[in-house]
Amino acid sequence: MSNNRVSRRQFLSYTIMGVGGFMASSLVLPMVRFAVDPALQVEGDSDFIVTDQLVSELTEEPIRVSFSYEQQDAWYTSEVTNDAWVYKAGDEIIALSPVCKHLGCTVQWEGSADFPNQFFCPCHNGRYEKNGNNIPGTPPLGPLDQFVVEVRDGYLALGEVKPNFIVS
Amino acid sequence: MLFAGREINQYIEQKEYIDTAVVPLIELDLGAGGIRQSSAAAEYMISLTSLLERQFKGRLLLLPPVSYPKNSDRAEIGSAIRKELESSGIKHVFYMTSDVKWRSEEDLDRLLWLPAVPVEHMDPKFRQSVMEDQLRQVLPLVLEAWNASS
Ligand code: FES
Repeated sequence: MSNNRVSRRQFLSYTIMGVGGFMASSLVLPMVRFAVDPALQVEGDSDFIVTDQLVSELTEEPIRVSFSYEQQDAWYTSEVTNDAWVYKAGDEIIALSPVCKHLGCTVQWEGSADFPNQFFCPCHNGRYEKNGNNIPGTPPLGPLDQFVVEVRDGYLALGEVKPNFIVS
Repeated sequence: MLFAGREINQYIEQKEYIDTAVVPLIELDLGAGGIRQSSAAAEYMISLTSLLERQFKGRLLLLPPVSYPKNSDRAEIGSAIRKELESSGIKHVFYMTSDVKWRSEEDLDRLLWLPAVPVEHMDPKFRQSVMEDQLRQVLPLVLEAWNASS
């Protein structure tokens, strides 16, 4: 038999080595992942993203303000666009996260004709007051998160997302 | 929710709330005449379904794109996936594709056929607004299915 041909026995042992190698790599992987993870995290830094929204144009009525950054999701690296619901309360600028605190759908201001003056989540009819406070009896168990905001040359800049800090 | 390891625990725990699945269907054509269109359509479909997922994350499970060669038996693919999903308790299955050959699969409910918009060379802002317009065509169809069933 030629030396170059893989005999049945050799084939088996290659396979087993292959599996062993795979198992070894799965043992090593978690450590590598922990080591690498912090560098991959975009969130948690206190950088602000300046939006196209002029602060002087904000009113008491929440509007959707979009902003973009690079992100990698399961299959795809792309510019993602995120939103905030932004309005003025007196002199203060309030920017709420649109992410429903139940299971994460995107909420809409006055998204249901039956509930004016509220944020509405179409997934399981979650509702929030204008300040983001969740309405008891609907699925969400906490208020909408809130962005830290800044004004940069007249434009709205959005920073970190924090637990809602205006709902008392 | 994404069909991805890091999100699947939440899916398992909250299954009663997640009754809808979205299946992106992508024709693989690596031939000289088809590869550009096929890959552009894939990009478009992945991008559109990701946006949809973000909008309805809490009620919808987005599957990884199902890619199949040109001559595949589409009816077979469609019904096999539906069977798997429905046996796990999913009530609404939406197929989304730019592949014209699905249009003849009339038995397949909730097949959303959307001609691919070539977004790959658009600048990010314009691309975003085009994709949001596309998304706006899809959102009401999902909401309608939900309202009809509640
Ligand atoms: S995800 Fe918003 S109510 Fe369930």
